[in-house]
Amino acid sequence: MMKNFLSLRMLDFCSRLFTMLGVDYPVMRRILQVKLTMDQRRVPTIFEQSKTKEGNQFIKSLGLYAFYGLILVPFIIFGDYYLFQMTLVFAMMMFILMTTMIADFSAVLLDVRDKNILNTKPVNQRTVSTAKAVHVCIYMIQLTGAFAAVPLLVGLFVKGVLFTVIFLFELLLVGMLIVVLTALIYIFILQFFDGERLKDVINYVQILLSVGIVVGFQVMARVFDFSDLNVDFTFQWWHLLLPPIWYSAPFEWLLNGNSASYIIGYSIMSVVVPIAAIVLYSRLLPSFERNLQKLLQYSGVNKRKAYRLDQLLAKIVCKTKEERTFYRFSALMMKQERQFKLKVYPSLGFAFVFPFIFLFNEISRNGFGSLPGSKYFLTIYFGNIMIPAVVHMLKFSSNYKGAWIFRAAPIRNEAIFYQSALKAFLTKLYLPLMVLLSIIFVSMFSFRIVPDVIVVLLAGVLHALLSYKLLNNQTHPFSRSFEFASEVDTAKNIILIAIIGGFAVLHYLATLVPYGVLGYLGIVLIAVFISWRLVFPAKEKKLLISQA
Amino acid sequence: MNVANQEEKILSLTNLSMSYGGDLVLRWIDLDVYRGQIIGYIGPNGAGKSTTVKIMLGLVEGYNGTVEIFGQDIGNGDPSYKRKIGYVPENAEVYDNLTACEYLTFTGEMYGMDAEKAERKALLLLDKFDMRGVFHTKISSFSKGMKQKVLIISSLLHDPDLLFLDEPLSGLDANSVMIIKEILAQLAAEGKTIFYSSHIMEVVEKISSRIVLLADGKIVADGTFAELQAKNEEGTLEEIFNQLTGFNEHREIAKSFVSIVREGGS
Repeated sequence: MMKNFLSLRMLDFCSRLFTMLGVDYPVMRRILQVKLTMDQRRVPTIFEQSKTKEGNQFIKSLGLYAFYGLILVPFIIFGDYYLFQMTLVFAMMMFILMTTMIADFSAVLLDVRDKNILNTKPVNQRTVSTAKAVHVCIYMIQLTGAFAAVPLLVGLFVKGVLFTVIFLFELLLVGMLIVVLTALIYIFILQFFDGERLKDVINYVQILLSVGIVVGFQVMARVFDFSDLNVDFTFQWWHLLLPPIWYSAPFEWLLNGNSASYIIGYSIMSVVVPIAAIVLYSRLLPSFERNLQKLLQYSGVNKRKAYRLDQLLAKIVCKTKEERTFYRFSALMMKQERQFKLKVYPSLGFAFVFPFIFLFNEISRNGFGSLPGSKYFLTIYFGNIMIPAVVHMLKFSSNYKGAWIFRAAPIRNEAIFYQSALKAFLTKLYLPLMVLLSIIFVSMFSFRIVPDVIVVLLAGVLHALLSYKLLNNQTHPFSRSFEFASEVDTAKNIILIAIIGGFAVLHYLATLVPYGVLGYLGIVLIAVFISWRLVFPAKEKKLLISQA
Repeated sequence: MNVANQEEKILSLTNLSMSYGGDLVLRWIDLDVYRGQIIGYIGPNGAGKSTTVKIMLGLVEGYNGTVEIFGQDIGNGDPSYKRKIGYVPENAEVYDNLTACEYLTFTGEMYGMDAEKAERKALLLLDKFDMRGVFHTKISSFSKGMKQKVLIISSLLHDPDLLFLDEPLSGLDANSVMIIKEILAQLAAEGKTIFYSSHIMEVVEKISSRIVLLADGKIVADGTFAELQAKNEEGTLEEIFNQLTGFNEHREIAKSFVSIVREGGS
């Protein structure tokens, strides 16, 4: 049976208040109980990159947020430059809360099933809407609570009671602002676009969150060793547009006694804006509820998009007509399937950022000037770490049931399915990203490294083949449910990451020999040709591989 | 012209009209439904069938005219008339990450039943469909037919007097269809009123005691199947449907379709 949630037991204390507002409290409580039960069974985006899927996902994610809250601690304790420190604290807080809200709670805010399931029952509208509002608030309080718990405690011990009281009060306002802001964004998007576009926006925010958290921590760990920091704050009018500054101002005002007019102005903004936003929101709510229906409509533009380019690429990289067909199909699957993008695009983001993160140490030590002569360009190999991750994901699709078409179609040479999927991955995702990365690297390291970059790209192709052989080795791409996507063979992944290292080491050794890189290039090129033939035999025979 | 007992009016639409963004989807409909009737509510796609049902369930606002259910004007903002209504929605919307037990108990409670009674009854009803074994299984893992059975049970759990069924047989196998048809007939005999929308004319023809045909937002035919047959020279309900909705080029469309299929095939 469903749990009697702590949050609901707390809510029971306010039951009188709800009854006074005209809400049927027992019914609202029951709706909330169902909603909270369903929340527990959802996998939060913050776990999207991990494998564990057992137990209460939501509580676990709160634990993770509490852990992330630790990074706020240094900013709170290292000094009394509240305007600066607390701006950073609130900026991070708002980023995390806002993206999480959009990524994970959209499903709740935008649940169109509610209408058919709840509004057909003898329950008054006010009860249903209040349940929704309370649900969002419970979520926000839990999230903010988890994230701010450690900073609040540290603040209490280091900065005293007044600090903590201001902090709590400001957190409340920030929470309100974020809930309303999220809703306003939805209202705005739904006013002008249909549900499909909104789902795209949510998808990209989810991706941003996944990348943002990992990259943010990598960068943070390296950037913030400026311990003796001293910032002079000069007021600029556009600072008024930065909400985190509003929330830092009251600390400056009440704790440092700085009562400059702009400080007081910010403090007023921090209170007035959330309240104004709520008023605006309640005005727009009826039209929002109406526009929610758009989520069910597919007004979509009935036009073919950017077909020419795909057509051209297909001609270049594929030999047979059948192969071209599946190449275009794979390209479309990668481009249009949200679940696939959510799983894969973060890896692409990491691939783009990691080389720079590892360059960062060198640049901060010796500056840009030392780069052209050095061999630090080899950090570009970190870009290749996306390959096993993405190749693994080629197995999956949220429409995996559609894969019957592979078996039903009269295709003789079954090698073309994965061959074309791999080609689509390499040409549509891998190459564009790596070419961009290469251009940046060449501009930093001089033209000398052009052959090296080509070697890296070829090693990538080879690596994709190895990854396929080691991880997938089946006939049909996009044919399994994402539910199994987390079943990763760790050993194989470590091997594949190590292989990247192997390529890099060989590359390094080749640079020590005159014309070594060109020789290495030749070897890798030949290896690519041979292994492609071996993995995907061109003959018309069935592949002798085990079906997954 | 209605064969059912005239005494108790369950539902009454008077001068009902509705427009979406300037398009009139319902044009001044009048309809009275009496206790014990099974109304086969049919019409082409986009004729306004779902809109009518959604208005009656209070899902759509902004209509003109009056809708009275159990003698209560539903526009007065009091949702209590829904207590005696059951609804099977067209596109099988459920909270499918709940188990069958959780979902059915929840909907039962929303209709004002107490939890134990709802759960006990839900289990007994599921057992009749041989689904006792999946009582504590998440609905998301159910087949289409199983999901449909859960929806049908959730619409009947609270013993409603008025049922709105939108394609209730979709996904069910032939044996289950026979059970449901028999259930509907027996419920009607017990005095329940059923509002049945479907595109499957054979079923509508067999189970309905009265057929209402909607086209372009207007009621173009209303009566028992025998009455409709008497008025139109055509034989089956499907043919009457085609005739009344002014559709007679199915042969030509099929012919040109086939010729396109045949052209340049491999």
